[in-house]
Amino acid sequence: MSLLLGLTGISLLAVLQASLVNHLRLVDGRPDLVLLAITAWALAGHARQALLFGFVGGLALDLFSAVPLGVSSAALVLVVVLVSYSEGRFWGVHPLMQLAAVLAACAVFYAAQLSSLWVAGHPIDLPLVLNRIVLPSLFLNLVLALPAAQTAEALSRFFTPGQVTA
Amino acid sequence: MTRVSSKTLLASALILLSAALFVLNLGGYLGSARQVVVRPLAGAQQWVSQRYYAARDLLTAPREASALRARVDELEAQNAALQDQILALEEQAAESEILQALLNFARTSPESRYVAVSVIGLDPSPFVRSINIGAGSDRGLAYGMPVVGETGLVGRIIEVNASFARVQLITDPQSAVNVRLQDSRAEGLVVAQPNGELQVDLISQEAQVSPGELVMTSGLGGVFPPDIPVGHIVSVRTRDFELFQRAVLEPVVDFENLEIVLIITNFKSVDQVPAP
Repeated sequence: MSLLLGLTGISLLAVLQASLVNHLRLVDGRPDLVLLAITAWALAGHARQALLFGFVGGLALDLFSAVPLGVSSAALVLVVVLVSYSEGRFWGVHPLMQLAAVLAACAVFYAAQLSSLWVAGHPIDLPLVLNRIVLPSLFLNLVLALPAAQTAEALSRFFTPGQVTA
Repeated sequence: MTRVSSKTLLASALILLSAALFVLNLGGYLGSARQVVVRPLAGAQQWVSQRYYAARDLLTAPREASALRARVDELEAQNAALQDQILALEEQAAESEILQALLNFARTSPESRYVAVSVIGLDPSPFVRSINIGAGSDRGLAYGMPVVGETGLVGRIIEVNASFARVQLITDPQSAVNVRLQDSRAEGLVVAQPNGELQVDLISQEAQVSPGELVMTSGLGGVFPPDIPVGHIVSVRTRDFELFQRAVLEPVVDFENLEIVLIITNFKSVDQVPAP
């Protein structure tokens, strides 16, 4: 897949996240398009590209957010490292393991954002944040995880037809 | 083995780069670089937001449903360009309505100077309550300027770029607004709870506060100008063993449906420099 195309796509996903997806709420939670895309692309066997996409997507998110610049990009790079663990074989043993990968990815992503906001002096009521934001967001992300994985697989086959992905 | 090492190396480099950007940003060295990157992204965000609002207005206007259906039937024969034009016109009409309401609000404080700006997005992080608006220092906006909607106080600007700015809503837990209750004349402080609920704290025990009372900014502290409506008292909690009363506040602004806001540009906030 063309790296430039992917970087443009992930930047557009960040724009969509800030302008459109944030209106699609369950309680105060919302799906995380960039996180889902990065996770799915890493699970599709493109870990190194996903690292770069995660870095750029995270920067684009932070540009529109009160979260300090660099936090989301570092978190998304960590997410890719996590989900590409053992070259994807660990998460690829069963289709449902992809849901577990998204679960782990969300945990890393939210923990990084919450920690940075807490350090920056933003008041965080953890039980409330868990109930109203993290759990609903997690649910939405899990619902969208399999379609995201299928889309990533299809894109992977389209851009790298000769490659057998995990 | 080599492949794993190169991936780890790349991941480490990117994390280090993130950390470097984090530190440089904290030191304020990325200002002009951010302007360059944000400008096209903010433009894209504004374009998507306008389409979203136009589509939402079409779908959520039941009083116009029959007229819209008839119009849609008419438009089916026309090409995509015309449909796009009609969507744009409808959006302009909706914007005109909002601007008329904002103008009415502005007339209540003629001494203030306003700039109307469209809302282009929400903070991507669900843990923060702020909005992004489609104008920045190019149109004279600056840190600390108060932001109002057609019915009352929205928040204040906390970050400015050339073509885009971020507004901290009064529903963000980091926000605090000094207020005065209209009937009882009691002073208080509006603070947001982590769930976005607004409460008026620090109300004197002697004050006779009743539900429905209008709460307005007091101007104390110099962060917001006085007499901007903030909300109505919903309920009051008074405990003998506490120093102050506390009340739950229903904001006058619908924060979920903000499309255009007014920035008060001639108010000199005492807090004009962002915290390091």
